[in-house]
Amino acid sequence: MLKKMFTIFRRDAKVNTREFLTAYIMLAPVIFAIAINLIAPGINDTTVNLALVKGDDEQMVAYLEDFAKVDVFKDVAALEKRVGRRDDVFAIVPDGDDYYVLQQGNEVEGLEQYATMMLTFYQEGMRIEDSTAIIHSFDRTVPPLKKLLVNIFMMFSAIMGGMLIAINIIEEKEDRTIRAINLTPISRTAYIFAKSVIGITLPLYGSVVLVVFTGFRGIDWGQMMVLIVVSTLISILVGFTEGLKNETVMDAAGSVKMLFLPMAGAVAVAEMVGEKWQWVAYWVPFYWTYKGVDSVLTYNANWGTTLLYALFVVIISIVAYLILMPGIRKGLE
Amino acid sequence: MKLWYSFTKELKLSSKGFYFYIEILMAVIIITVLLVFIPENIKNISDEYLMLDMPAAVEEQFISPLLSQDLDGEIEIVALELDKEMMDVRLIESEDQRIYLIDNRDNLIALSKKDRPSASAYISGDDISKLTYEYYIQGYESERLQNLYMIIHIEDIMTIANLASNQKVVALDADYDHLNSRESALPALLTFNGSMMGLFIIAAYIFLDRQQGIIKAYAITASRVWQYLMSQVLVLMTVTTLTTFAILLAVMGFKANYLMVILLLLPSAFFFSSLGLWVASFFTNLTQAFGAIYFLMMAFMLPAIAYFIPSWEPLWIKFLPTYYLIQGFKESIIDNGDMGFVLLASGIYLGVGIITFLLANSRFEKTLTA
Repeated sequence: MLKKMFTIFRRDAKVNTREFLTAYIMLAPVIFAIAINLIAPGINDTTVNLALVKGDDEQMVAYLEDFAKVDVFKDVAALEKRVGRRDDVFAIVPDGDDYYVLQQGNEVEGLEQYATMMLTFYQEGMRIEDSTAIIHSFDRTVPPLKKLLVNIFMMFSAIMGGMLIAINIIEEKEDRTIRAINLTPISRTAYIFAKSVIGITLPLYGSVVLVVFTGFRGIDWGQMMVLIVVSTLISILVGFTEGLKNETVMDAAGSVKMLFLPMAGAVAVAEMVGEKWQWVAYWVPFYWTYKGVDSVLTYNANWGTTLLYALFVVIISIVAYLILMPGIRKGLE
Repeated sequence: MKLWYSFTKELKLSSKGFYFYIEILMAVIIITVLLVFIPENIKNISDEYLMLDMPAAVEEQFISPLLSQDLDGEIEIVALELDKEMMDVRLIESEDQRIYLIDNRDNLIALSKKDRPSASAYISGDDISKLTYEYYIQGYESERLQNLYMIIHIEDIMTIANLASNQKVVALDADYDHLNSRESALPALLTFNGSMMGLFIIAAYIFLDRQQGIIKAYAITASRVWQYLMSQVLVLMTVTTLTTFAILLAVMGFKANYLMVILLLLPSAFFFSSLGLWVASFFTNLTQAFGAIYFLMMAFMLPAIAYFIPSWEPLWIKFLPTYYLIQGFKESIIDNGDMGFVLLASGIYLGVGIITFLLANSRFEKTLTA
């Protein structure tokens, strides 16, 4: 049986290799990891962005650079032009002997307080050297946003894995090869599993590569693998349901699009919504994988909670499978 | 005329397809999620863990201004979990901040390590004006933020805060409106739901028609290939416009500037659909094209980060087409939005969209009928 299943997987792999898809699957997580590594430090490196007039007060520019990202511009008109652009930049504008803070007006509320505080520090002659404060660090180097991006890209891989299964099945249907399995010695269940292997490979390989290349090598790999493996259950369910239910790749593409919403919703609920509203996302398997992966990436996870989260995903997937089973069976007939 | 006929025929066909209803269902889901599950104003509440090691009188002096901001003016006793044990701590909760007062330094360190609060400090001293601050940071905080921690307590914090609040602040546009949490989510959602997915969907359309031999049939009809391609683009534009307007009307009512929305939406949908066509022209089926489309979609999602974190906007992100769409949608739904920006973005989408469409057409003319 295993040999037959492997033959089906080999056929999928061969078809997809022929069509350059494997190259994309192999390269994409590496490129995304590099992109995340490049993006994440930039997002984390400043408190606020400031703009000052060049040559007005060199000392102030040097002083403020300790607290904010500072750019200099040739005159006040240039400052106004810079502030007027779309991002959040505040200008410190000379006004006689004094200064004022110039903002566009649409910045995140309260952000201008950073600029007014920094200006006050400078005007009051406060120096870091005079500080008695002590900073103890836990020596964590991975910024939260990097963790968030890795987690989201991993979920994205799971959806795309499902999409790949769906496309493979629809193409089999269009080639009229799916009915032929009834005439072969392989069972339907084995066929289902074999067709899933290529779709499982994408999230498995993609997630591992992403985690390794983004520098999370020291995590508990056992816990991470449990979560990655259960997230492939989502890929299989999505792939089979969409693949067998839909007659064309067009419809499947539309249906998979709908999966992005619970995925985005699960992240939004976990990150932004208060404790009392968390139940809203309990039915979404992505919510549990997101929480589990987040704990593992923050080196906070323990086996108890990881297995519990994994169990929730398995239960939701079983319930979804039982609901969708008649459709899957019918699709195979 | 032939184009109109092709378009109406395609529209009728798609309205009978499953995909059309998925789009409507998707719009309904987005509306429900936004209106039911996302509060109008999500407050970003930060947590701070402090341990106050000082005489009771000094502690009272320290706590008093914090307590004046507390929601009910009273300290609450709550439990925090550490190593599976619950420990009682004092809580001062204001509208945007929760300050937990922890009585043991080891617990403060362990909890700060576990819970990663936005700030954590051990504060000691016998004189309120000469307190010593020891911060516990995670390690990923920027050097600039650490410098702020170092300097902020050199002088009395209340005096500095007063001086800072008296600084003159001038806004270039005082009438600028702020979007609430629900409305803020719209630009990114509309971009991904509509225009960007158009790229994927149109490729699927083309491959389907190619597989069913519809495209080859064009070789023997009076219609030209460009008319067929344009009819597909127009169908996508129609569906995108309908769903975008439905979502906007439900969430914003008549507050959005619909003229700006349509000025932005049509050229951008045209551009993304043309891009989808052009990408599709390099492949023979969706499995082949999947990698390229997947790649583009991931890259196109990056401007959403710049949208939600406005202090981060590197130059390269402006070369991604979704940047102008997200920012343009924001201008379209905000009061006194920047019409100049929307017109510029529309012009760019239209111009680049025409070029991309011509490129796609020339490739399809060579390959479709082959």
